[in-house]
Amino acid sequence: MALYDEENNKLSIKLVYYGPAQSGKTTNLMRLHDILRTDLKGEIMLMETANDRTLFFDLLPLGFKAPSGLLIKFKLYTVPGQVVHDSTRKAVLSRADGVVFVADSQRTQSVNNGESFANLEDNAARVGIDFDRLPLVVQFNKRDLANILSEDEVMERWRAAPWPITFSSALEGQGVVETFNALLPQVYDRLDGEFGFQQTHGLSRDDFVRQSTGQTAVDGIA
Amino acid sequence: MPNNFDRELTLKDLLLGIDSHRLLTDLQGLLDAPVAILDSQGICLVGEPLASESTASLALVVELESIGKITADAPVPRLQAATDLVTLLLRINARYLMASDLHMQTQQADFDELQRRHIALEKSEQRYKALAETLEQRVKQQVKTIESAQIKLYESEKLASVGRLAAGVAHEINNPIGFIRSNLSTASSYLESLNKIDALVESGASAAELRTVWHAEDMAFLQKDLRDILDESINGTDRIAAIVRDLKGFSRINEEVDENADINQIIRQVCNVAAAEIRGKAEVLLDLGEIPLLHCHPGELGQVFLSLLMNGVDAMSSVGKIQFRTRLKEDRIHIDVRDNGCGMPESVLTHIYDPFFTTKEVGKGMGLGLTVCLNIIKAHDGGMEIKSKPNQGTLVSIILPVKAVPSC
Ligand SMILES: Nc1nc2c(ncn2[C@@H]2O[C@H](COP(=O)(O)OP(=O)(O)OP(=O)(O)O)[C@@H](O)[C@H]2O)c(=O)[nH]1
Ligand SMILES: [Mg+2]
Repeated sequence: MALYDEENNKLSIKLVYYGPAQSGKTTNLMRLHDILRTDLKGEIMLMETANDRTLFFDLLPLGFKAPSGLLIKFKLYTVPGQVVHDSTRKAVLSRADGVVFVADSQRTQSVNNGESFANLEDNAARVGIDFDRLPLVVQFNKRDLANILSEDEVMERWRAAPWPITFSSALEGQGVVETFNALLPQVYDRLDGEFGFQQTHGLSRDDFVRQSTGQTAVDGIA
Repeated sequence: MPNNFDRELTLKDLLLGIDSHRLLTDLQGLLDAPVAILDSQGICLVGEPLASESTASLALVVELESIGKITADAPVPRLQAATDLVTLLLRINARYLMASDLHMQTQQADFDELQRRHIALEKSEQRYKALAETLEQRVKQQVKTIESAQIKLYESEKLASVGRLAAGVAHEINNPIGFIRSNLSTASSYLESLNKIDALVESGASAAELRTVWHAEDMAFLQKDLRDILDESINGTDRIAAIVRDLKGFSRINEEVDENADINQIIRQVCNVAAAEIRGKAEVLLDLGEIPLLHCHPGELGQVFLSLLMNGVDAMSSVGKIQFRTRLKEDRIHIDVRDNGCGMPESVLTHIYDPFFTTKEVGKGMGLGLTVCLNIIKAHDGGMEIKSKPNQGTLVSIILPVKAVPSC
């Protein structure tokens, strides 16, 4: 759950990139770090082993100030996708305010995607997250590769799902901001009631989304 | 509870584990001026607060926002370099703190999970224990039921054999009783002759008169016949006494006590008691060797021998032979019961130890079943083997170990 620090007038929002091993979670964070023009952008903290496997988590801090002066601080985490690190995944997922599920579009990875998604549901329940109300985006990554599920196939398979589906090629930076953008309005809606973004801090939904990514009105979609 | 790895880290947190004295000396060496590090509340964490007007200060930013500042009486570019250096240090420390806190957190969670499972496991173990106990009780009950059924089976078979025996014994006793009865009425009729002579003697008759009547009453024959019928009657009662004595061996079946008994004697008694059953059907041959007394339950063994004898008798289609043979070999008593009756085919042999298995018509199969016989022999630590050939006969071989006889 988002954490309000009255003393420093700061609200910390935790967003988690979840998904099977090697699907591109860390790559998403790295590209966001490169592309986003959010007012405040921290350094990315990577905790990987030699062969690029996330061991604990990656962390990218982002933030901006609401008209009221409230510092809105995002902490974007990735979980380690490898099955063995389930305890770590649980700890990182704990208290998340939103999740991006990064799926691997390659046909060979369908089973892994499914298992990882089930694992997300399980772990959410274990750490006390109401999965039905959790802001969530499902991203199909690695669109640049051959032998992937077509967009139609993906949409067909996820037809019954209530979450936005996005397509990306994180390696080239395509679709990562769109994915982040698809998550932000859900996060705003989920937290607005409790923290009074509009009422107390004069922060509209559109401004929240725009400022989070650092788009000015003229930029349009990145 | 371990710290949440993703909590907001304060400057104080991030200076943890860094030697502040050394940090201060190094910074002062680099800046060539007094230095202080303060947190966002203005509390001095490293060095002494500086009062000077010319003091420059730069914010320390590890993530996004300022968490404190460095102040020093030094040119800003140099202070900036020092700030970068400290920030680098703090970031590395943040990395370490988060990783170690996360590690502690997962360890704790794994441990809690393990304990939860342990408790669950203990609970299910207790359930299984309880289940095992009730199962054990049920098994015990079943064993009791089976045991009592076996005892009933034994008792009923014993009763049946006693019934068959009783018929034979009755016949055996009736015979002497019959002739003793007729002998006694003859004897009482002889009393009338004696009474006549007695009357003459009382009336003072002459010797000649007495002699005439003595001859008329044929007293010479009467005297001799009376001798004969009394002898015969005594014989008869002796026979009855012998039968009753042999029967005693069977009247003690229910006594649990073991005693030292002569197997040969038991076999003889069995043959005597069953004489009526055997007569006209088979000839019994006894080949009884020299064997020691056996500490055993004579009543039960008698039942076994009787049953085997009856089986032999029942196997006869014409008058055949049944032989009992006893021998001592290496501290074991070997008892063979052999008959030349109809024998059994393989298909019957495989079933002979099944309880209630019988080839005999209802009411004819009297005597203990072979299962009960085998159990009795086993209870004596012995063994029993049956060989049979159709139309040739059957051989039952029993081996009983001679145990050290308890002396008393
Ligand atoms: N072709 C292609 N490769 C990608 C894409 N995104 C990521 N990759 C590659 O996939 C591999 C794994 O990417 P990571 O971002 O490390 O994956 P991850 O999900 O963080 O993996 P774990 O940390 O093990 O869970 C790397 O070699 C990336 O370069 C993509 O869009 N297209
Ligand atoms: Mg990773």
